Amino acid sequence: MPGKSFLHKLNPLTKVVWSLAVITLAFVYQQPLPILSLWASVLAVALIGKVLREILPAIRGLIIFAAIFFLFQVFLIDEGQVVFTLVPGTGIGRITDVGLKACTMLALRMLAMTSTIPVLLATTPPKDMIVAFVEKLKVPYVYALMLVTSLRFIPTLQEELSLVIQAQRARAYDLEGRNIIKRFLALIPLALPLLLMSVQRARTMAISMETRAFGAGPRTSLHTSTFQLLDIGVISSCLLLTAVLAVVSLH
Amino acid sequence: MIRAENIHFTYPNGFQALKGLSFHIKAGEFVAVIGQNGAGKTTLLKLLNGLLKPTAGRILIGGLDTARARVAELARKVGFLFQNPDHQIFLPTVREELAFGPKNLGLKGAVLEDRVKDAAAAVGLTPYLDFNPRQLSKGQRQRVALASVLAMQPEVLVLDEPTTGQDYREALEIMRLVKKLHQQGHTVLLVSHDMEMVARFAGRALVLGEGQLLLDGPVATVFAREDVLAATGLVPPQVIQLARPYQEQGLLRPVLTVEELYAEIIAALRGEVDARQVLPA
Repeated sequence: MPGKSFLHKLNPLTKVVWSLAVITLAFVYQQPLPILSLWASVLAVALIGKVLREILPAIRGLIIFAAIFFLFQVFLIDEGQVVFTLVPGTGIGRITDVGLKACTMLALRMLAMTSTIPVLLATTPPKDMIVAFVEKLKVPYVYALMLVTSLRFIPTLQEELSLVIQAQRARAYDLEGRNIIKRFLALIPLALPLLLMSVQRARTMAISMETRAFGAGPRTSLHTSTFQLLDIGVISSCLLLTAVLAVVSLH
Repeated sequence: MIRAENIHFTYPNGFQALKGLSFHIKAGEFVAVIGQNGAGKTTLLKLLNGLLKPTAGRILIGGLDTARARVAELARKVGFLFQNPDHQIFLPTVREELAFGPKNLGLKGAVLEDRVKDAAAAVGLTPYLDFNPRQLSKGQRQRVALASVLAMQPEVLVLDEPTTGQDYREALEIMRLVKKLHQQGHTVLLVSHDMEMVARFAGRALVLGEGQLLLDGPVATVFAREDVLAATGLVPPQVIQLARPYQEQGLLRPVLTVEELYAEIIAALRGEVDARQVLPA
């Protein structure tokens, strides 16, 4: 992903600072509306960076996750006025106004916080991320590599999982219509081949890295990580804006 | 047995993998599907067992419309062998692995055991029934996968590059097994990049290029159309290329394999087939 927008040109750490600023503000705000606008601002950044379309599937996934989170929590809060009951006349599935607000907050907060991650990943080549972490933050190279490699393997695993599902379905394996315990056990034919292949892959990767002298001595990198004027500008405005917004909202 | 009527398939990302294919495969045929990577071969196979449903047109397997039937239902009729056996093997013994498919079909007891035994015998794995499939060689694992499909006794066998990543001997063994199964009455559909294997074993070939059916006919006829094959990045087996000039001069009859060419040359040189004993082998 060559530099398509200013977001691509920024130092990876600058984007991490932005991400942390969003997280901080998400915790500072205690009202749904400001958090909603915070989330909107994250999406706006993605739009300006020309990656909104690219990250849309990830955002959709996060929304589903937030919705599940919401549903799990909303029935557990007893305080406040009851606004809705799943089974009328009983206490089952009762939703209160306090619960509704708290859970909306929680879901939105989670959305705002996690939405920065796809933006970060879509605009930063993994290699740059490693270099930035190792050079600027003095993270040991092996840890940085582990993190980036595991992120890198997610799409590969997804592809592999779909092949495994197809292979088992071709043997008349049925995924639908069972009770919860059976459905959980039914994951074994899918999870096991995937796990075994991943272990195999990790071993192959370790060997191929060692044959190319991984860990033999101090590493150098072709491109070094630098902070440009733009980075300094973005970082300082992120910090300033966060501080101002935090102070305003706490008063 | 298999009838495809003007099938189209477009992936959710907008990639048009198949653009209007029609063909008919009779029961008992051995058909090879060839074409360069991305020509739509694997997509076509996945449409046959209902893993994918055509976006337009329809496929009938023994009268069953794949768009309406469930994959589990189609699995009875169409056995699918994938490129990589490791995508499906997950049980601790070969015996249990072979029983997985028939169990899903609801078989149990003596019938199930018979199925497992027959399938293991068909691929020569009887001595390995209690082994852990993960400890077998790649070629053996591929035979485990094949047997696990056979145990479901499908009428049609669909094989997606069953010989990749194996040495010549292992690949030949798999293909000989497939040939034996074909002779026992299975309809076979094979995707392969190995043109020698296609020439040696298949009766008919479908050539795909960019989602379209470029050629459909007996293997000998298909391999004679070098111009069309070149368009989809295929080259006929060397032995066919070698024999072509002589064939065009009327010196040799059409051949598909090295053995056939050898027999033809001997006959042409000496005017009699038995002459091979005179020449050093």
